[in-house]
Order: sequence, then structure tokens, then C-alpha cells
Amino acid sequence: MIETIVNRLLLSIPVLLGVLILGFVLVQVAPGDPARVLAGPMAPPEVVATIRERMGLDDPIVVQFMRYMGRLMQGDLGRSLISNKTVISELGAAIGPTVELMFACLIWSIPAGIAMGTLAAVWRGSLVDRVIMAFSVAGVSLPIFFICLVLIQYLGVKWQLLPFIGRGGPLWTVDGLRHIALPALSLGLIFIGPVARMTRSSVLEVLRLDHVRTARAKGLSERAVILRHGLRNALIPVITLIGLQAGYLLGGAVVTETIFSYPGIGRLAVGAILSADFPLTQGAILVLALAFILINMIVDILYALLDPRVQKK
Amino acid sequence: MSAATGIDTTAEPVAPRRRSWWRLLLADKAAALALVILVVIVLAAVLAPVVAPHNPYASSRSVMLPPVWEARGSWNHILGTDGQGRDILSRILYGTRTTLIIGLVAVVVGGVLGSLLGLVSAFYKRIDPYVMRLVDMMLSFPAILLGLALVAVFGPGVVPVIVALAIATIPDCARIGRSIAVSVMEQEFIEAGRAVGLSDGALFTRYLLRNCISSIMIFISLRFGQVILIGAALSFLGLGARPPAAELGMMAAQGRDFLLFAPHIAVIPSVAIFVIVLCANIVGDALRDVLDPRLRS
Repeated sequence: MIETIVNRLLLSIPVLLGVLILGFVLVQVAPGDPARVLAGPMAPPEVVATIRERMGLDDPIVVQFMRYMGRLMQGDLGRSLISNKTVISELGAAIGPTVELMFACLIWSIPAGIAMGTLAAVWRGSLVDRVIMAFSVAGVSLPIFFICLVLIQYLGVKWQLLPFIGRGGPLWTVDGLRHIALPALSLGLIFIGPVARMTRSSVLEVLRLDHVRTARAKGLSERAVILRHGLRNALIPVITLIGLQAGYLLGGAVVTETIFSYPGIGRLAVGAILSADFPLTQGAILVLALAFILINMIVDILYALLDPRVQKK
Repeated sequence: MSAATGIDTTAEPVAPRRRSWWRLLLADKAAALALVILVVIVLAAVLAPVVAPHNPYASSRSVMLPPVWEARGSWNHILGTDGQGRDILSRILYGTRTTLIIGLVAVVVGGVLGSLLGLVSAFYKRIDPYVMRLVDMMLSFPAILLGLALVAVFGPGVVPVIVALAIATIPDCARIGRSIAVSVMEQEFIEAGRAVGLSDGALFTRYLLRNCISSIMIFISLRFGQVILIGAALSFLGLGARPPAAELGMMAAQGRDFLLFAPHIAVIPSVAIFVIVLCANIVGDALRDVLDPRLRS
């Protein structure tokens, strides 16, 4: 067990290093002179030169990289070129909302997807199965921005049920919940499809196994057989799916946050890229990459914990 | 339809039934319909300069004209006009072109590179662990992040998006290619090929590649829809295709501002993306079921 975790941690070190180098390269290769951006387009060349020097932009690359790593260790990612606030404080303010959004999305879409997938598997070939699978294929084929726009149009504008701009506050407040409802609904809708599909195929697979036949032979009710012996074992692939689809979810979150002006990391990243705010871009991408690595690590470890067979390999 | 022929193909000890795979595909009504729609869409996109009724970039004074089925619609602009008075049908035709090109180039380049990597790694077992570590590392970069990073460096545009999507396609294809190739490598005919003294190159292309290619193509076709969705999302965010070029995701984004009084400007391109991706997914799924049930998981 411990070996699995250690191996997993070791594997993420080169990835982490890659992410850091990428972050550094991002700032280096970026066109445009950060000093010029900071000074403004009208500033005289002497001012730009002074700023360049103060930022250490004239030093050799290796020196700059070491300095970058040193600063990173201290949690210093520089300042945003636009707001002049520290990147860390901007990121810190945006991480909470994104985690909330992910949570609000997963908390309803995973159970919904699992329920739909199980129903489809139990009533395999029936109308229910077909409708659920059609819904799932449609779900993975819909552009996320379209779902957002439709929900805004109807639930937000026409029927005025829910707000669709920004964040109302923390998740535990009524206003916070009202504001997160539409983004979480949109993001969850693209996630239900894959979950339902995966659950269906793994339940079908598990229901064929010997222990399920034994459970039936014992005279357990069909409900107990499916819930306790079928679904429980079928959940393992669903957990892996969350790791596999983390990138998909992340992409969805970037679009969702941008459309709903929701102040999370995704919107921050897009805004920073569009305004050529390189320190902030770099910070946002670093955080997103770290989150992705972390999610996959947790999933791998959970997987090993839940399925003793994995450790034996 | 297979029941109509009265032959039980599952009883055959050897799998290939090459002649009739497309028949099986067409027997699946949904897949057949999806395939027809896809072919029509591709043709329309290829022939866009010929079939488009208007210049897709020319604005006119009739701004935000609704589609023809609505009260104020006109047959001159069947799908209406956008916020700048440009003909939506023509822009959809050109936009589909851009969207399809982004998806196709990315999937083909990434798919070929990735599966070659996987095949080579299964063929030369010595390099296998290294290649797989590399693939693991690449897998920890989701497509959307690569897209954001490349766009951040090179600025918004179609090329960085294609490059990002192609790179993001490599690791998945490498994994699938490898797992298919590993099972082929265990077959006796590879051993036989070695025994008669075939060179590595001949063994690779004639024995391994040929036996893997259909499975790999199916997997690539299954990726196509996803790649199109990510590309469209990046364009929607303003990170992909640049105006005035027409691209479906970007057109949807431009329609966002008119959502309240002219929803068709955003809805039509979004539906176009949906139809393309849905048809691609249905055809891909059906192809997999018919040609290679091994990939089902």
C-alpha cells in the first residue's frame, strides 16, 4: 500500500518539474516586453530600462530560472501586470470559488450519473436504457457554452429564477448557493453522460460475475443484489473515471466560469491570457496543472485503497 | 440485417469478415443516418465557396435578421444575419470548414504520431518503459491547459490551438496503440515472420502496422468529437480563431451579446457543433462495435 503511494508520488516529481519549467518558459518566450507593459506605452526608454533592470530581465536565463525557483519556493509569483496585486493573492482569492464550483458540480452530477447508469444497466435494452444512453451521448456531444447559454436564457432571463452573474458569497450562504446553482448545473450536465455510461458498463460487467449469481442463489432480493453486490463493485471504475475526466471537467470549468463571470481560476487564466498579463497567466496555469496532478494522484491512491487487486500488480 | 442473411458470424473461429463491415454499420439505423448527415456536412463545408449564398465576411444593413421560419425572416438570408448583418448560413458553411480543419488536422497529426509511438514502443520492448513514462507525463497535461499555455505564449490563433490539440491527442493514442500492438506481437505470425528472416522494417509495416491500423483508426475517430469540442471552446473564449474569420465556437461567442433579442445568432452555430460532434460520436461508436469490440470499455 505504502509502496503504491510512494511510487505515485515519485512519478509526479518529473511532471511537477515539467510544469515549473513550462511556467518559466511561458514568461520567457512571451512576446512583448513586460517592462514596457508595466511602464505603459508612453513611458520614455530610460524608465523602461530601469524597470527592466529592477526586474532582472537582463540576466542570463539560468540565473533567472534559479531566481524564479527560489521565489516560487517562497510563494512569490510576482505581481499582476494589470492590477499590480501579487499573483499569489489573486490566485488565493480565486481558488476557493473554483473548488466550490467543482464541489457543487460533482455533488449532484456523480450521484445522478451513477443512478442513471445503474437504472440503464438493470433495465438493459428497455426504453429507459435507450433514453438514458441517448441522453448520455447527447451530453458528451453538447458544447458546454451552449448549455450555459441556454440555462442563462431560460432559468436566468426568461423565468428569472436564478442569478447568472458572479458569485454571491461562500457556498453556505443562501446567496452563494443561488449564484452557484446555474454554473454547477451547467458543468454537471456535461459530466453526467460519462459517469452514466461508465456506471452502466461496469454494472453490466459485475452483474455477470459469480458472486452476484451466488447472492441471487442465496435468495437475496434483486434490490439487495444490485445495490450491495453489483453497484458497490462497479463503483471502482467510476472513481477512475473522475481522474480520467479531470481535464475535461477543468476545461468545462474554464468556459463555465468565464460565461457566468464567476471569479475562479479558469476565468482568471482566460482574462490574464487575453490581456497579456504573463505573471498572472503563469500562476493560473501552474495552479491548474498542480490541481490536475493532485486530483489524479488522489484518484490513483483511492483506487489502490478500494481495490486490493491493484496493489498486487 | 445480419439475421436476414441467416449466417451466424459469431460461430466463425477467425474474426475477420472484412467485406461486410460497412453493411453492419449501415444496418445500425442511427449510425447510418449519422454517417449521411456527416457526409453532407463535410461536403457542404468543402464546397462552401460554391454553395454559400453570400460573402461570409460582407456586412449588410439588415442586422440581426431572424431565420426564415420566424415572422420577420426572409428567404434571402435563410438562417438570418448576425450582429453585423452578415449572412449566418454562409458563415456557418465557412465556420464548419474551419472547425472541421482544426479537428481533423489535430486528430490526424496527434493520432499518427501517438500511435506510431505506441507501436514502436511495443515493437522494441527495450524502449517501452521510457516511452510509457513519457506518455504518463504527457497525460498529466490536459488538452485545455496545453491550449491555454500555448495561446499564452504565441497569442490567440488557430495554429496554437491545433498544435495543443494534436499534442494532447498523442498520449492517449500511444497507450491504445501500444496495447493493441502488444497483443498482436504475441501472435504466432510475428514469430513466423522473424523465423523466415524478415527485416525489422518489413515486420513492423507489413505484419504489425497492418494488423493494428483499423483499431487505431477507430480510436482516433472516437477522439474526433472531443477534439472539436475543445477547439470550439477555446475559440469561444477568444483564444482560437480570430475575427473576421468564421469559426463555429467564435460565432457562438459573438452571438452571446445578442442573446436576449436575437438568440439565433448564438444558437445556430452551437447546434451546428452539436450535430457534427453527435454524428461523429455515433459513427465512431458504431464503427467500434462493428469492427473492434475489444476497444469497448
